Amino acid sequence: MENRPALRSALAIYTMLFIGFLYAPFVVLGILSFQSGPEGGPQFPIIEWSTYWYEHIFGLTPPSRVAPLPIGEALVRSMTLAFVTMVTSTVLGTMTAQAFRRRFKGSGFVFYLVVLGMIVPGVLVGLGIALVANDLSIARAWWGTAFVTHVLYTFPFAFLVMLAIFNRFDKSIEEAAWSLGVPPIRTFRKVTFPLIFPGILSSMLFAFTLSYDEFPRTLFAAGADLTLPLAIYGTFSVEIHPNIFAFGVLTTLFSFSLLAVYGVLMAASVRSAKKIAIQEDIE
Amino acid sequence: MAEVRHRIQDGTGTSTVARVAAERKDPHARRITALLIAPGTIWMILFLVVPMLMMVYVSFWTQKTFTIEPTLTLNSWIAFFSSETYFGALLRTIRIWLIVLAATFFLGYPTALFIGLFIKNKTLQTIVLVLCVVPFWTSFLIRVLAWRPMLGKEGAVNIVLQKIGLISQPIEVLLFTEFSVVIGMTQIYVVFMVGPIAFMLSRIDPSLIEAARDLGASTWRIFRTIIFPLSLPGVVVGAIFVSVMVLGEFATSAALSGRKVNLLGNIIVTQVGSLKWAFAAVVGVILTVVIAFIVAALLKIVDLRKEL
Repeated sequence: MENRPALRSALAIYTMLFIGFLYAPFVVLGILSFQSGPEGGPQFPIIEWSTYWYEHIFGLTPPSRVAPLPIGEALVRSMTLAFVTMVTSTVLGTMTAQAFRRRFKGSGFVFYLVVLGMIVPGVLVGLGIALVANDLSIARAWWGTAFVTHVLYTFPFAFLVMLAIFNRFDKSIEEAAWSLGVPPIRTFRKVTFPLIFPGILSSMLFAFTLSYDEFPRTLFAAGADLTLPLAIYGTFSVEIHPNIFAFGVLTTLFSFSLLAVYGVLMAASVRSAKKIAIQEDIE
Repeated sequence: MAEVRHRIQDGTGTSTVARVAAERKDPHARRITALLIAPGTIWMILFLVVPMLMMVYVSFWTQKTFTIEPTLTLNSWIAFFSSETYFGALLRTIRIWLIVLAATFFLGYPTALFIGLFIKNKTLQTIVLVLCVVPFWTSFLIRVLAWRPMLGKEGAVNIVLQKIGLISQPIEVLLFTEFSVVIGMTQIYVVFMVGPIAFMLSRIDPSLIEAARDLGASTWRIFRTIIFPLSLPGVVVGAIFVSVMVLGEFATSAALSGRKVNLLGNIIVTQVGSLKWAFAAVVGVILTVVIAFIVAALLKIVDLRKEL
């Protein structure tokens, strides 16, 4: 297969075109975010290059007919929600995966029950929780019903990541610590936690980014106070201005900085793991 | 369980079996396991299973103008199946699902083939895969919205096509049609097809292909009889991801069709918007049944537990 140069280069060119297809809308979005304002619309041609719409987001432009994006409070809510969701689902995921290191009756049922959370479409999850909340006369709110549905979605990711991590390391390491008389809490802190730290970091990254961007699960569950995706969705129905594109560029940059933080922490944890391994070799 | 049986058959695992049995009997260990799984399990039952059952229940409630009453009736169900608009939405959802599934498969497979089989360097493989996943890190809604300046009458596609002289008039049917919805969904979900297929392809033993070639098999025959069958579990996993997400969609169709293309998801959103909860629940149940049916059918193709 690999010694067919013609096929190989054909596929290579195709893959490049494919990646182009994935990125093209972003390139266009990025270009149009530098449209002049406030008269420039969300289409070509670029009348004049400017950073007007970026200033517009931060309220640095004189008032015009284009209303500012209603994102200030929504951003804070989404961040808070993503943070709490991240902590909750990582704790739940680690606990459940820890239980799966031992065989137990009904493990198949629990496994599928958890995985169901990432399979059932968000619109159904949101509808279901809204129906229950209405029936019990519970007010729907982003910190209540929406938080609950977000964890339904991110907990399975954390669980699967932690399951993969626990599968990779040998139980006898912990057993050795226990048999040496180290108490379980200390064993967890000193032995287990450093070993599973990369997994915890990955589940946190998954949970935060998924929750921060989650839209269908939030739509029916958030109540009156909007989260960021809901606020963005609200601007869809009215006329679109390039400020939404500028905001798209900014959120993308934010996501990349999260990824960068993740990368740095991950590299540090790998380095410290290597250091321990070397020390063991010396000893 | 399968592993235990396997070990017994090996004739090596008596001690393991004994240990498993001991672990199961140990009441202290069992209590810890129960405590560990309790929060997660309760969360899923309380906030996922109960709401889904509630949805089924409410679909039989009586819909008043702005409220619902727990008097059981089939009215909402009859309304769904007797209305051209709603039943049409079901058919449209299935049609768009099929088109997007085919598009993600045919567009994604060659890329997966290149990544999984032709790139031998593991680091390079990861880099190309990450390159495909990066767009996933932008806001979903803004990703959808980005197609508007691409496909519009004065959009990038029309400008490029006019510049190179392929067309003289801008094509107007690119945006706010079923076409734009399909394009948008394909771009967003194709990555979920590429990933699993590339993963399965990268696990194929190269000597298998070499042997086939030495025996004189043509490239097409090798693909048909070795490579494709071995990649099938990846195709099924990718198809499940794409299917579940496309069937539950409403944002892409709302943003890119100018509200002209109504999927089952869009019907649920409008019904909830006008407080027609019972009717929304009917559509929700129908959507659940469709998804369960499709996922079960896909799982019939290969036994994933055996393959992965």
